[in-house]
This record gives sequence, structure tokens and C-alpha cells, in this order.
Amino acid sequence: MSARSARRRITNAVFVGATALATFVALAALLLILWSLVSKGAGGLSGTIFTQDQPAPGSPGGLRNAIVGSLIMCGLGMAIALVVGILAGTWLSEYGGQSRYARAVRFLNDVLLSAPSILIGLFVYELMVAPFHGFSAYAGAVALAFLATPVVVRTTEDILTLQPGALREAGMALGASRAKVIRTIIWRGARAGIVTGGLLAFARISGETAPLLFTSLGNQYLNLDLSQPMAALPTTIFQFALSAFDDWRQLAWTGALLIAAAVLIINIVGRLLAREVSHK
Amino acid sequence: MSLADAELNEVPHLEHPPQDALALETRGLDFYYGKTQALHGVDLGIARGKITALIGPSGCGKSTLLRAMNRIYELYPNQRAEGEILLDGEDILSGQVNAADLRARVGMVFQKPTPFPMSIYDNVAFGVRLHGSTSKAELDAIVERSLRRAALWDEVEHKLGSSGLGLSGGQQQRLCVARGIAVEPEILLLDEPASALDPVSTAKLEDTLLQLKKDFTIVIVTHNLQQAARIADYTGFMFMGKLIEFAPTASIFSTPRLVRTRNYVTGRFG
Amino acid sequence: MATRADSAVTRPAARWDEYLFRAACFSAATLLMAALAGVVVSLAIGGWPAFKAFGWRFFITAEWNPVTDLYGAAGPIVGTLVTGFLALAMALPLALGVAIFLTEFCPRRLAQPIAVAVELLAGIPSIVYGMWGLFVFAPWFAAHVQAPLAVHLTEGSWAARFFGGVPNGANIFTASVILAVMILPYMAAVFRELFLSVPAQVREAAFGLGSTSFEAVSKVIVPYVRRGVVGVVMLGLGRALGETMAVTFIIGNAHGLPHSLFDAGSTIASTIANEFTEATGELHTASLIALGLVLFIITFAVLAIARVLLASERH
Repeated sequence: MSARSARRRITNAVFVGATALATFVALAALLLILWSLVSKGAGGLSGTIFTQDQPAPGSPGGLRNAIVGSLIMCGLGMAIALVVGILAGTWLSEYGGQSRYARAVRFLNDVLLSAPSILIGLFVYELMVAPFHGFSAYAGAVALAFLATPVVVRTTEDILTLQPGALREAGMALGASRAKVIRTIIWRGARAGIVTGGLLAFARISGETAPLLFTSLGNQYLNLDLSQPMAALPTTIFQFALSAFDDWRQLAWTGALLIAAAVLIINIVGRLLAREVSHK
Repeated sequence: MSLADAELNEVPHLEHPPQDALALETRGLDFYYGKTQALHGVDLGIARGKITALIGPSGCGKSTLLRAMNRIYELYPNQRAEGEILLDGEDILSGQVNAADLRARVGMVFQKPTPFPMSIYDNVAFGVRLHGSTSKAELDAIVERSLRRAALWDEVEHKLGSSGLGLSGGQQQRLCVARGIAVEPEILLLDEPASALDPVSTAKLEDTLLQLKKDFTIVIVTHNLQQAARIADYTGFMFMGKLIEFAPTASIFSTPRLVRTRNYVTGRFG
Repeated sequence: MATRADSAVTRPAARWDEYLFRAACFSAATLLMAALAGVVVSLAIGGWPAFKAFGWRFFITAEWNPVTDLYGAAGPIVGTLVTGFLALAMALPLALGVAIFLTEFCPRRLAQPIAVAVELLAGIPSIVYGMWGLFVFAPWFAAHVQAPLAVHLTEGSWAARFFGGVPNGANIFTASVILAVMILPYMAAVFRELFLSVPAQVREAAFGLGSTSFEAVSKVIVPYVRRGVVGVVMLGLGRALGETMAVTFIIGNAHGLPHSLFDAGSTIASTIANEFTEATGELHTASLIALGLVLFIITFAVLAIARVLLASERH
């Protein structure tokens, strides 16, 4: 065997080893984080987390107000995002095509998709909080909607584009209008894909903290009035984690575990659904 | 003069049915994909209550011609047709006829089965619901009659509520036929309807079409010459965007007048 | 924009339906554009008083003092860029390594679950990374790196200039590490997708010529998607630059220019997150919004480059 061939083989072995090491290091770091999350968070899990509101330092309590607030604002945000996102995605796929305007929308949607979420918070502050002199759950939900919409637009367009053109022709050949074909045939065929996109968007916004800091602010009490400040799990975690009280920090860990678990579960469900579809 | 030149100079030979037997007629029909011209002055007469087949090598324009007859090409912004297409004497290209009404009168079945993602019943009822309100009982009757006429009723009678996507390929195609005839069109266009089917399903579909010509005028595009010979009353041979021979099916296959047609039907090219 | 497809419908109800549906879809698409325009305009208007008061000096002064009402953005801008690029430098080799290992070397049975795990980890909320940094990584770093180091650092040496600082673990460097861990699974997942998009023939051709795996990867596969690789790098950088929560917990939140890598600092996002709701003066609020505009411009430029590169990669 020549020296050159030996050198090539050694280089190759080193390279393969390095990539394996990189994978090991990356997985180890991420597992370490998950382990911290579980070991520190699981201790605080109990029924009271869901049944009691956040306590004063030193007293027992839970995260009910934050969990309820998160559900309300994420739910409202998703409702807005689904309506706007599905319509906009439909326009891109069915009407916009490759026109200049459609390409501009597509590009700006991509920008919005990865814009820093704190800037969305600032924008909604200027849009809704400053003019009306008050933080509110409405503002929080709108901020979350701005983050979820681009995800829904993206997946909707992708899924609709995958629907066979022959289906559109067959619908039109029966005398249906384009709008009718889209609503009764194309959307129906794309339903599972759109639901998956919605779940991914929901997972994304349920962990977002930054856009809520200046919009829904936070609330130490359970609040169901959308025009008032409202607590959310991420903002409460932020506040508690940076506090000086051990029991608050414990609640922060537990809350973080809840959020991470919820996000993981939603993502997994979304994936299973997507797999189901692609197997058909 | 070489043989090739002789072929090029051949004059189209068109033996159309008598004028008063025509359900649909094209006059000087040109068709464009953007700047590319795909049809050149096609004159074609489709006899009422008969099956007319369009044959020819791929790219000859037979599908394009079919897609002009219900203006389905209008889905695509850069496609356009010029000339006249007369449906019961009315020019459907004139702008006076609206496409939705036209497509209710001229139905279409596509190459690949296109069941909609909904139940078998809803598939058949789709077009009927579009074109007017119908009572539940009437709709039930229309769905049953359409499925019977498409020779599918016996196979799906007990699962009308299940998805149309669950049927076999041949059943799906007959479902599409049932869907197409449920709105009682005058004309049914079929674009290579059997090309994705196995021989048994193809035979069933052909049987169905022969039954259907009692009530409908049928135009079928096919690359399968035996199929045209088996079911068509008239056959048109297209070549490079022109209709160059049209005659009763028997004479096209037994005594073609043009060299090109003869070469094609005897399998020497295409 | 009337096309012939619109004239397809004569029944008035159906024509209205088509028109309204199309208008609704179009409005939704336009709303997206308006949203982005709204972000820019609101940041520009909100930040205007700061630009008017400080002019271009806003960008180069490090002084950030709510008491004297003097604001300069140099500290957070430098902090943002330093943490972003440092995080990228740490995450890039690891992410590339993970993606290459998973697509080229790892047995398929193992690769699929690992890849799914990596993608799932990419979805973990950033606040989790921030908390881990604050409560686990920072104390460890302070005890096992900074404290031993402090003993050996002499005042004023070049080493102190890089590694000096209060040994509490909350500094530019640890913030960068947390950012790196956060963008790592995201970048690895997108890299993997990119490498999987290389056609099998290209891969086979490389090996067919007798290449080793290393040669095939480094000379054929990665170069084949090189613009995409740069695009992914930009996406990762964009995430790191704009991230709020993973950084705010651990960067130490000090105003002004950091003195060393192990010194507390701030980024644009962390400054806004910490101060916005507490800002009292009009100029303070305006300066924070102006910071936001700067962040928007930086990330927009990075993302635009990423999108253009990734789009050109779709052969």
C-alpha cells in the first residue's frame, strides 16, 4: 500500500471520527439540558400547579393563571393566524403563482418567519398598547398571531401546490368556479397537511416569551378579561426565574418543563399526522 | 417527387356526418400555447349520439382539441383558442357563452382518475349541487341512476358514504364518468380515459361508453387504435396540429385515403 | 385583474362568491406585506426622537445612561454582533459534523431516530435554554473556568484583556455558548435536509471514482450545495442575532462596551427586553425602539442574503 493511500485512509478515519464526535457532543449537550429540565422541574409537579394561581414568595401556589392565560392567548392567536394564513397561502398557491407581487409576498413572509420575535412585540406595542394606553391579552394574542401566520402561510402554500392539477381541472370541468373548487376539493384534500402546519405554528408560539413582554405584560391573578393584562406561562417563568426566591425558581423550572413537554408533544403529533398523510 | 413530399402535399380528407346530425362543430380552429401554435385551422364535426375518436401520434394536438371543446384551457392564462366552436349552432368562443354553463353541457373525464377527496355519493352529487338546488330524494335518484349508467352501482351500492379514494383505479374512472353524466351533459369528452387502467377495467369502461351513447354524444381521445376501432363510430386522425383525415371508423381503418393515416393505423409510425 | 377564468361564471351568486373569495385571499396576502411594512414604519417612527437627538453618534457612543438621558447604541450593537458570530463559530462545525455524520456515516437505523430527536430539540422554546444557562451552565463555568483562571491572570496582560471579568458566569462568552447550543439543532436539521437533497447520482459518481468518504463529502457533496450551506449559516446567524430569552438570562446585562469576552455585556434584544417596560422618559423609550430598528436592519440583511442563497440552491 502506498504512503499516499495510507494517508488518505487515515485522513478519512479522522474525519469520520470527528463527525461522530460532533454528533456525540451535540446530543450530550442537548440531553444534559433535557435532564436538568426534568430533574429540576419534575419535583414541583403536582395537582396544585393546575388548580392554584401563582403565590406570593414563601406561600404555596401553582401556575393556573399563567397556564390559562397561555391557552387563551395562543388559542386566539392561532385562530387569527389560521384564517389569515390559510387565505394568504391559498392566494399564493392558487392565484398569485409566479407574479411579481406573489414573489414579493413570499419573500416578505419568509422574512417575517424568521424576524426576531421581540421586534414583533415592539410593533404590537406601538400598534395596540401605546394608542390605547394599556397592556392587554388582545395585544398578546395579536403578537402571537404575527408569529404563527407566516408558518401557516408557508405550509398551506406548500401543501396546496402538491394537490394534483387534474383535480382542479376536473372540478372546473363540472362547471364549478375556481373558488368553489378550492374550498370544496383542494382544501379538503390538503386538510391533514394544513392541520400539521397549524400544530407546528401552535408549538412555536406556545413557547414565545419576548413578544408578550410588552403586550400582555403579565398578571399575578387569574384573568379572563381580554382587555386586561394577562399572565402567560413563558412570561411568568421569566419573572420567577430571575427572582431571588427559591420557591418561585422551583415554579419556573416546573413551568419550563410543562412548556417544553407541551411543545414536544404538539410537534410529535404534527409529525405523526404528516407521516400518515405521506403514506396515503 | 419523393414519397415524403407526396405526403406533405396531401390534401386533408374529411368525410363529416351530415350537418343536421352534428352536436358540435369546430370551424377554422387555431390554438396557441403562448406563442406556439398547436392547432391549425381544424374543421371537425361531431355527430349527435355517436362515439367519435380522435387518434394520432403524441403531440399531434388531439388532447388540445378536446380541451378546447369545454374551454378547460382557460385555467391557464397563456393558452387561447381562435376560430369557432359551434355547440347547437352557438359559438362558445364568442364570449356570449359562460364557461360554467358550457361545462355543464360538455362534461369531461380525464386521463388519470380524479376522484375528489370526499365520499362516493358526494363525488357524484358534486356537479348536480353546483347547477341548482335539488331535493334530497331527487339527488339520491340522480346519484343512483348515474352510478347505474356508469356500471358502478352494484359495486358501490353499500358504501356510498365511504371515500372515493378507496376505490380501485377502474372503479375510480367509472366514478368520474358517473360524476360527469350526473349533470346530464349533451356531450361527454374523454381524454385517454383508459390509459391508466388494466385490460379488464378498460373493457368494462368501453362497455359503459357503448351503453352511454344512447343518451350522450361522446368524444374520446385515445392512443389505443384497437380501442378506437372497437367503440368509435367516427374516427379523426390528427397530425402536427391538423385534422388530416376524418371518416366513419370502418373506412379509416380499412381504406385510409392518406398515406400518413395508412402508415399510422398499420403501425408503421407513431 | 380580470382573467377569462373570472368570466367563467354567469350566475350572479357564483360570480360574487368567486370575487369575494379571491378578494379575501388577496387581502390576507396583502395583510402580510402590510405587517412587515408596519414593523418597519412603527420602529422608524418610534425611534425617530432618538435619531433626532443623537444623530449618527447614536450608533458609535457606548454611553447608555437613563439618569442623564444619554443613549448610545454601540454597546448592545457590539454585544449582538460578538455573541452572534461567536455562537455561530461554535455551532457551525458541530452542526456540520452532525449533519454529515447522519447523512453519510451513521447506520440508517440509528440515523433516523437521532435526526428526529435533533429536529424536535430545535423546537424547544429558547426560554428553556436561557434557564439552563442561568442555573446550570453559568455557575459551573464560574466555578470551573473563571475562578481557576482568575488566579493566574495578571492585571493588564493580554490574557486578562480577553478573559478577565467578574467570575459569576454571566458574560458575553457564556451567552454565546448558550446561543450556540440553541441554534445547533436547528442548523443541524436544515444542513441534513440540504445534504439529503444532493442527488444520488452525484454521490455515486464521487464514490465511483474511488473517493474516500472524506473526499466525497468535502470535494463533492458539500460543494454541490455550497450556496445552500452559506444560506443555512446565515439563517443560524439571524436566529442568534435576534434571540432574546436565551441571552437575557445570562449575558449579565451591563451597559456600555464589554471589556473582555468574560465580561458582562448586553445585546440589542436583551436591552429591549430588560428595559422597555421600565423605561420612563420619552427619549429612553425612543432609544430602545431605535435599537429595535437597528436589529431589524441587521437581521433583515442577514435573512435576505440567506433566502437568496437558499433559493438559488433549488436546482
